[in-house]
Amino acid sequence: MFLINCPYCGVRDQSEFVSGGEAHIARPKQPTELNDDQWAEYLFMRKNIKGIQFERWNHVHGCRKWFNVARDTSNDKIEKIYKMGEQPPKI
Amino acid sequence: MDNINTAIKDKREYSDLNLKEVEPITKINLRGKKREFFTKVGQVLSVILPTESNTSTSNQELSALWLSPDEWMIYTNTMNKEIFDRVFKEISSLNYGAVTNVSDQWVCINISGDKLYELLSMSCPFDFSKFKVTKGSTTQTIINHIDVIIHNLGDNNINLFVRRSFSNHLWDWLNDGANLL
Repeated sequence: MFLINCPYCGVRDQSEFVSGGEAHIARPKQPTELNDDQWAEYLFMRKNIKGIQFERWNHVHGCRKWFNVARDTSNDKIEKIYKMGEQPPKI
Repeated sequence: MDNINTAIKDKREYSDLNLKEVEPITKINLRGKKREFFTKVGQVLSVILPTESNTSTSNQELSALWLSPDEWMIYTNTMNKEIFDRVFKEISSLNYGAVTNVSDQWVCINISGDKLYELLSMSCPFDFSKFKVTKGSTTQTIINHIDVIIHNLGDNNINLFVRRSFSNHLWDWLNDGANLL
């Protein structure tokens, strides 16, 4: 368990949030031109790295807003929190 | 307009805690971002919506709670149907924002007493240390896994809003907890 500093509500317990998976995955511009492997790559394949990972989180039991989190998956240390639409920080 | 069918129909008193359902009470959910939205709300309801997170504003008749950067809840026990119709016509019908009557969705429980925050902290991850000394502060959090909105009225007195379908379960949990304190 860890604390997350919601950019709208402030510091809250992790139990108020849900994770929305990896961030910054862009939908293909021409989905009809993809073959099955490329489509599967877009839909299902995620990095799941040990280290700093960029994720989407939703404050579902609070303001219900989505935002991005740069989290170290090895120790749950949050390096950076930034709003939707903002560029990922260089870490 | 008001929630006539109350959910809990009970009132309990303990040595340092008092619990009761507040009814009838009108609750309105407002959503909007446009400048005209804020202007219209101010004109019709005579209240400035709070833009700072976890805060509220009040006048003699109603309170406006901050829920998210573009969402608020108004609650009052004096609003008549004409004012609600005016809010709906001047904001929602003109697409300045969304106005939803949520009177029957949320049940309001008033809890007061010196052991109030001890009771809530039995199953709530929220840190009440700053909240309890700031009159008018609000928060949305979970108590015993149930979504709630809490409005601090000051002096160990809060209004707690819970969804109707969870209200009896939370009421039982609160009374179980109050018996243990």
